[in-house]
Amino acid sequence: MTRLLMIREQIKNFVNKFDTFVYPVAKALLALTTFLMINGAIGHVPVLMKAPIVLILAIICSFLPTNFIIILDAVMILLHLYAISLECVIVVGCLLLIMFLLYFRFSPKDTILFLLTPLLHIMGIPYVAALSAGLVSGIGSAVSICCSTIIFCVLDYISKNTETIKAMASDQMIEKFRVLLDVVIKNKEMMVLVVAFAVTIIIVNIIRRLPADHAWTVAIIAGALVDIVVVLAGDLKFGTYISIPGLILGSFVAVLVVIVIKFFIFNVDYGRTEHVQFEDDEYVYFVKAVPKNTVTIPEKKVRTIKASTMEEEEYEEIDDVPEYKVKRAGGSGAGNKSATKRIILPKDNEFDVERHATRKDSAGLTAIEREAAQKAKEARRNRS
Amino acid sequence: MTRLASFEQSEGKKSTAIGTYFKSDYIWKEIIKSVIYATLTFFIVIALYICYDFEFIMEDIYSMDLMAFGKKVLFDYFLLVMIYGVITFVIYSLRYTRARRNLRRYYNNLRRLHQMYRKEDEALGRD
Repeated sequence: MTRLLMIREQIKNFVNKFDTFVYPVAKALLALTTFLMINGAIGHVPVLMKAPIVLILAIICSFLPTNFIIILDAVMILLHLYAISLECVIVVGCLLLIMFLLYFRFSPKDTILFLLTPLLHIMGIPYVAALSAGLVSGIGSAVSICCSTIIFCVLDYISKNTETIKAMASDQMIEKFRVLLDVVIKNKEMMVLVVAFAVTIIIVNIIRRLPADHAWTVAIIAGALVDIVVVLAGDLKFGTYISIPGLILGSFVAVLVVIVIKFFIFNVDYGRTEHVQFEDDEYVYFVKAVPKNTVTIPEKKVRTIKASTMEEEEYEEIDDVPEYKVKRAGGSGAGNKSATKRIILPKDNEFDVERHATRKDSAGLTAIEREAAQKAKEARRNRS
Repeated sequence: MTRLASFEQSEGKKSTAIGTYFKSDYIWKEIIKSVIYATLTFFIVIALYICYDFEFIMEDIYSMDLMAFGKKVLFDYFLLVMIYGVITFVIYSLRYTRARRNLRRYYNNLRRLHQMYRKEDEALGRD
């Protein structure tokens, strides 16, 4: 466990240290993945499928806000669909426009969830999106996931029936509209998935916000079970052809993936929970403090000692050692004289951190209580 | 100081922009935008509905009660605008309250920082 925590801290330190490069590269990779996914599903415009064009667009996306990736994805989708049929452009364009007008002005931060959901659908684990959205984001992200699922289902239908749509004559425009709109209105599998994701996200979000111990773990498991139950219930009621082994396996893999996400985002030690109570002039505070599992990465210093100058370097002065004044107690007739002692402190000692955390000050408060009291005072000051 | 700088660079820009409005002005501005977007959405949905049921509409247009149909369409439009307006009101009220609270905390911290600098200057001046 300590090894895993160290790896996590190293990853976090790496990302923080090189965030100037990491975030643009991540955005470029996300954009590139979505472009390749779109080209693979409905690619019909040769210019947009060329590798240099895709790479250039991905590099452009790395410098622009994340929401720009969605706009560029939408433009690519419409251009590819134009090569299939005009009716596809109109229907999918209207769907995208409705989503942009009604929803994205409220939740522009759900871009990454919106882009990752179709990728997870293609990988066969769409349930990861619902579970992770419930943990990481709020209830409003249910709308992002559902919109993304609808767009994916429509594009998936179009990609599987491209020849059929192309074969329909140009004077069968109304027929084409009806076929495409039936994918949105009468697609029962899509409706079951959308309802299952929405219910899962709401349940996971409610449970993980509870002040109970292990709330996040309970939320993940409850969310996966609710997901399975709702999909099975929809399958029974509407007679859809959702693969049940795929559902169970996909949910199992989703739980594993989300547990890894939880390890990075929310890793606490409930065994060391402290319940503290303190008061000031106006309030009595009941605080439950749950410490996070953290590990400090020891800094490695390499000192080379040359054999020829061993005698000179034997007593090496260390300048950055704090000096403490120590009173000599008793002694042989010398009285109490204050003397200066040099104390060399060990680096990154975990036990010192633990001892410091439980040490009480003159007011009888531990470090956690002091910090909580300080935060409460600030909150009161801001309220007044 | 680090917290102040971090706030200025991230959330502070949005909060400052929101804080320049009175609450009622801000919410009304967003509701008017919502009404426009809801109207556009309604037109798009009506257009798609006409495309979907074009043949039946053409067949029944002379026999259907146009007044009743028109009333139903208007009722649906006002229902959509009202629901979307209420959702907008709730969301943007919460955003305004949160932005004002963040700004109040930011200005309190700025005031404390200013007091610290003043004490430091007085101490240096005394020395």
